[in-house]
Amino acid sequence: MATLTLNALKKRYPNGHLTLHGIDLKVAHGELIVIVGPSGCGKSTLLRSIAGLESITEGDLWIDDTRVNDKEPAQRDIAMVFQNYALYPHMTVFDNMAYALKNRGIPKQECEQKVRETAKLLGLEELLERRPRQLSGGQRQRVAMGRAIVRSPKVFLFDEPLSNLDAALRVQMRLEIRRLLKRLGTTAIYVTHDQVEAMTLADRLVVMNGGQVEQVGAPLELYSRPATRFVARFIGSPSMNLITLEATTSPLAKHPLVRDMPAEPMEKAATLGIRPEHLRITDPLQALFRLEVEMVEPLGADTLVYGHAAGIAEQIVVRLDGIHPLEESAQLYLGAERENLHFFDVEGRRV
Amino acid sequence: MATFQHQRLTPWLLLAPQLVVVGLFFFWPAGQAIYQSLFTQDPFGLASTFSGLQNFIDVLHDPEYLAAFTVTILFTLSVAVASLCIALLLAVLADRVIKGSRFYRTLLTWPYAVAPAVAAVLWSFLFDPSLGRISHFLELVGVHWDHHINGGQALALVIIASVWVHVSYNFVFFLAGLQAIPKSLLEAAAIDAAGPWRRFWTITFPLLSPIMFFLLITNTTYAFFETFGAIDATTAGGPGGATRTLIYKIYEDGFKGLDVGHSAAQSVLLMILVAALTLVQFRYIERKAHY
Repeated sequence: MATLTLNALKKRYPNGHLTLHGIDLKVAHGELIVIVGPSGCGKSTLLRSIAGLESITEGDLWIDDTRVNDKEPAQRDIAMVFQNYALYPHMTVFDNMAYALKNRGIPKQECEQKVRETAKLLGLEELLERRPRQLSGGQRQRVAMGRAIVRSPKVFLFDEPLSNLDAALRVQMRLEIRRLLKRLGTTAIYVTHDQVEAMTLADRLVVMNGGQVEQVGAPLELYSRPATRFVARFIGSPSMNLITLEATTSPLAKHPLVRDMPAEPMEKAATLGIRPEHLRITDPLQALFRLEVEMVEPLGADTLVYGHAAGIAEQIVVRLDGIHPLEESAQLYLGAERENLHFFDVEGRRV
Repeated sequence: MATFQHQRLTPWLLLAPQLVVVGLFFFWPAGQAIYQSLFTQDPFGLASTFSGLQNFIDVLHDPEYLAAFTVTILFTLSVAVASLCIALLLAVLADRVIKGSRFYRTLLTWPYAVAPAVAAVLWSFLFDPSLGRISHFLELVGVHWDHHINGGQALALVIIASVWVHVSYNFVFFLAGLQAIPKSLLEAAAIDAAGPWRRFWTITFPLLSPIMFFLLITNTTYAFFETFGAIDATTAGGPGGATRTLIYKIYEDGFKGLDVGHSAAQSVLLMILVAALTLVQFRYIERKAHY
């Protein structure tokens, strides 16, 4: 168990490109932090900087009370699970797991005992004599986990560990990882680009974009109160509808729900956000707008409706519960509760 | 399906060029060698008498043959070990270079384009007792170099020349092998507390072993057969047979001594030796090399 503190962490590559623009983060004992963001947002770089595989240009990285900026990866007492697992192909599962222990000069007997314990925990006992190429994707993933766990490090780092698995296995492994981490109680940082994975795993989520942290918080907090337009769009599926408000021209801006916003935020608000699941069919008088249906996707449990509304440039998505036999070119009057409306200013900040 | 299976001619037609080359340059001469090794022939090829295995018995009792055998083993071992080690070292270093890596790699590959005989002449100039740059420096540090007289130095010279050419060949393979190793494996090993040295011996080296095995075979064959040019162009087997390898002795006996029967017997023996060696390598080393 350990705490992890990032203080204005910056990473600049030798070619001058600034990948991390000063990251601040405090991770508590035993917390599971998920870093999520689109590809190229710097999340992998951040993880690799914490691991010591990339040097840190500026700022401080603390594990417990030790500043580890200049420490070798081995001295940081972290363990990492790689996206491609990085299992040593010429070693058996047992040797893969024992490698780190052997390198640290742990006596053979203790080594063997620890490997067997970990193998038991992960259900790998039968596979200890196999080589990685003789394992399935899920088994390899488990061995990679075992290799990280066996050392009982202070911090676990996961670099998109599930992205090479098929969908069903991913869901299963996701649950297993969460259960395992909570049982071990080890601090962990988990990087992914999959927002469902992020929401289900995290104690706290870190949303990154363009080398900066957009928001840090519990998954549902990010869902219900996104701090920026980017977070609003990134969390949730289908994405939140973001409607540009022209204060004077668009009819939506004159709607009581929108108009009655406190004066000052209303002036600053440039975007209105409504989640597809928060739009519901209502009577014409209360409606925010009238949707001209263009496409219907019946999913069984719910129905996704796509369309346009007069005075709104963006395409609108609505998620209706259950089955709705809608004609294409049908018209829907849609409204929403006041608390489900999100407003963002010109810079994309929440108001 | 039917037409596919009845295409009996096409596969043979496609194989023909390769079969012709192998037949013409391997099976025919090899057959000739076996045939001639059983006869005693006069120098002009006018008369030959069947002599059974007498040629083989003579050769195996010939002290010069045993001397050539020793020289060959020494030569082959040195060339194989030195060119593999140097190439591996250079490949590891070149693999680390980021700036100008193409430049280094091209330069290190070049020597392979030089014919072995030309390379050997080049090195014999460098080591020439009166003109050579290197021999001049050796003189300064108190080593008198004259490969025309000193047998050990002559052997060293042909070894250096052969190694120099072959390092490039090995280098290309090692570099490709190194680049095929996923970076994340070495990163994982670094996190697993393996230092650079340990990382190399426990991760990189075992992963290179299939390439190592392939190169070991090609290098041995190279040293046995293909260094003829290097030896002929510089020392011509001298001085006093110090650089007379088995392949060179076959040439000397057959083409200079015109003793076709004994020469053929030697080449049959060499063929058997190399075949046996390759077989042993495949049987015992390959098992360790593949994972």
